[in-house]
Amino acid sequence: MTKLWRRHRWWLTPTLLILPAAVLFSVVILASAVESLWISLHEWDGFSPMVWIGLGNYRELFADPQFYVSLKNNLIWLVMFMLAPPLGLAIALLVSQKIRGMRLLKSLFFIPLVLASVAVGVVFTWVYTPEFGLLALIFRTFGATAPAVLSDENFVTFAVVIAALWPQIAFCMVLYLAGLNNLSEDLIGAGRVDGARGWNMLRHIVLPQLTQVTFIAIAVTVVGALRSFDMVSVMTSGGPFGSSEVLAYQMFEQSIFSYRFGYGAAIASVLFVIMAVFIAWYLTRMIRADERGG
Amino acid sequence: MTFKWIEKPSTRRNFLKGAGGVSAAVLTGFPMPALSQSSEVTIISDENNADALQILRRIAADFEKQSGTKVVINNMDHEAHKTAIRNYLVAGAPDVCFWFSGNRMRAFVNRGLFDDISDLFEKEKYKDVLGATTGAVTVDGKQYGLPTGGTMWGMFYRKDVFAEHGLTVPATWDEFLAYGQKSKAAGLIPVSIGTKELWPAAGWFDQMNLRINGLDKHFALMNGKMAYTDPALKPVFDHWEELIRQGFFTPDQTSFGWQEAGAFLAQKKAGMMNLGAFVKATFPEQDLEQLTFAPFPKIDAALDRYEEFSVNSVHIPANAKNKAGAREFLAFFYQPENFGPYLEPGGNVPPRNDLPASKDPLVNAAVESLKTVAGTSQYYDRDTDPDMAQAGLVGFQEFMAKPERRDAILQRLEGTRRRIFKI
Repeated sequence: MTKLWRRHRWWLTPTLLILPAAVLFSVVILASAVESLWISLHEWDGFSPMVWIGLGNYRELFADPQFYVSLKNNLIWLVMFMLAPPLGLAIALLVSQKIRGMRLLKSLFFIPLVLASVAVGVVFTWVYTPEFGLLALIFRTFGATAPAVLSDENFVTFAVVIAALWPQIAFCMVLYLAGLNNLSEDLIGAGRVDGARGWNMLRHIVLPQLTQVTFIAIAVTVVGALRSFDMVSVMTSGGPFGSSEVLAYQMFEQSIFSYRFGYGAAIASVLFVIMAVFIAWYLTRMIRADERGG
Repeated sequence: MTFKWIEKPSTRRNFLKGAGGVSAAVLTGFPMPALSQSSEVTIISDENNADALQILRRIAADFEKQSGTKVVINNMDHEAHKTAIRNYLVAGAPDVCFWFSGNRMRAFVNRGLFDDISDLFEKEKYKDVLGATTGAVTVDGKQYGLPTGGTMWGMFYRKDVFAEHGLTVPATWDEFLAYGQKSKAAGLIPVSIGTKELWPAAGWFDQMNLRINGLDKHFALMNGKMAYTDPALKPVFDHWEELIRQGFFTPDQTSFGWQEAGAFLAQKKAGMMNLGAFVKATFPEQDLEQLTFAPFPKIDAALDRYEEFSVNSVHIPANAKNKAGAREFLAFFYQPENFGPYLEPGGNVPPRNDLPASKDPLVNAAVESLKTVAGTSQYYDRDTDPDMAQAGLVGFQEFMAKPERRDAILQRLEGTRRRIFKI
C-alpha cells in the first residue's frame, strides 16, 4: 500500500488536491454551460417536454432587431467601462498622497463599493427622475429642463452605465491602492536620483510596476461590462421598449417573462462565446507577459 | 403556524435532548413519530399587503386551533412568486398556493399541475354564492381554484380636484376630448400613466379595444385568432394616437412606475388615472374619501359595456402532499367570517355574494358597477399567452412614446403572434 502510494505520489497528490475544485467547477460551470447549449437547440417553456428545433433559435436571434440593440448596448457598456481603470488609478494616486483629510476622502470614494448594486441603481433612478430628481433640480436652478434620460432611447444606456461606473471606479481604485502600496521604494528612489518626477515618474517608474494590477482591473471591468444585468433590471427593466437591454437582460427577459428557455439559452450561448473570445485573448496575453517577466 | 419555535424559550439542554433522541431513534431504527405530512398544510402566498397577510396568518392560526392541523405559510414577493410558481408546482409543491384565475390558471391546468376541486365546490355549494365568477376558475366544466379578490378597473379621480376645476366625468369620446382640453387649461395632466412596469399601457389598449371592438373580438385577439395588423384595430390606435398627440398622458411616462403615476393623481397634478382600486395605496389616509372612479368613456355607443375585472384565486397543486387537509383549510378560509376580513385591506371586490357590505366605498361602488356590465376580460397580460403578453406590453409602451412607429410595432407583434400561435 505504502509502496504503491510512494510510486504514484508524484501524480496522485496534485490530482487529489485539484479534484474538489475540478468536480465543483465541472458540475457548476461546465455541465451547466453544456446543458445550456443543449437547451438552446430546443423550444422549451420550462416545464413542457423540449422540442428539438436545431439552430432555429439562433436563426431567429440573428434576425431579431432586439438582439442587435442589446449587442450595441453591450458595446457601449464595454467602451464606457474602460474609463473605470484610468479613473480608478487617478483617484488612487490622489488619495494616496500624504495630505491631511485624505483618509476621509479615501473612505468616501470607497462607499459605493459597500453599497449593493441594487441600492446604487435605485439611488441613481431617483437622481434621474424627471421633475423631482436631483438632476432635474440641478437643471432647474440653471433655468433649464433636465432631459428624462431614462425615457430617452438614445440616452438611457449611457445613464445606466454612469450609475454602474460609480462602484466600478471605486473597485479599480481599491485595486490600484493595493498596487501602489507594493511599489518598490528602491526603484522610486533610483528614479528620483535620475531626476524623474511628475509625469515621467508615473509613466516610466510607477506604471510599469502596476502592469499586473492593470491587467486584473481591465479583466474584471470587461467581465463586469459584459455581464451587466442588475443595474438594467433595477433602473429600467430594459426599457423604454427594450432600448436599454443588454444580452444578459434579454436572456433573463426571454427565459423568465416570456418563458422561452431555449431562446434565452441561445442568447446565453452567444454571450458565452463573446466572453470566451475575450478570456482566451486575455489569458494568452497574461501568459506571454508572465514569460517575459520571467 | 410558522416561527413559533423561535418564540418558545428553549434551552440548549432541551435541544440536545431532542437531538440525541432523534439520532438515537434513527440509529436504532425506532419508528419516528410521524411528524406527519397528513397533519400539516403548507401554503405559499404572494400577499403584498401587510394587513391582509396578518389576517391570513390569523385565519391559519384559528384553523390550527380548530382542526389540530399545523399550517405553514410561506409568503413570497408578489413579482418573484410569478416565476417561482413554475418551479415549485413541478419540483416541490405546497398544499395550497395563490395565483390568478382565467388564462393564467388555465396554463397550469392544461399541464395537469392544479388539482380538480369540483368536489369541494359541490360539497360547499360554492356555485350558489359565486354565480358568474365560477367561470373564472372553470376549465371544461371543472373547477380548479377558488376566486379570491377581484380588481375592477376604471378611471380614478379626485372629487375635490374635479369640483375645484369644474370638470365633469366624461361619458363619451367627445366629452373625453373636451375633458382633456379643460384639464390641460387648468394645468393638470389629463391622464396620469406610468409605463415603466409596462402593463399600464396594455390596460389602456384593453379599455379602448373593448369600447371599440367589443369583448368577442378582444378575445379573438387575445387567443391569437385575430391579427395585430387586422383593420379592426386601426380605429383603436387612431383614437389612442389622437390622445397622445393632444398631450393627454404624463410626459416621459416610461420613467414612472404606477405608484409614481398614482402620486401625480394624489398630489392633484393629474386629473384621472386608469387603474384598479389599489391606486389608493398612493393616497394619504385623509385624502382617501376624495378618491372615486368612473367607467372608461363610451366610444362606440352601440356596444354593450364590457369592463376589465381581474380575479385572483387560490389553488391546490396537483403535486400537493396533503390534498384533504388543503381542502379543509380552503373551506375554512372561504367561510364569510374569515374570507371577508381577508379581502378588506386590499380593497378587492369580493367574489362571494353573501359577504357583508365592505367598509370601503370604492369596493361597494365596484360591486354596483359590475352588476351593469355585459361581460368582463381580465387584463391583457392575464388574457393572452404570457410570451405574447411580454411582446405586447413592450409594443404598447413604445407606441405611447413613439406613435409614429405604429406600423413597425404592429408588424412586429404580428410576427410574434404567428410564432406563438403557430400560424
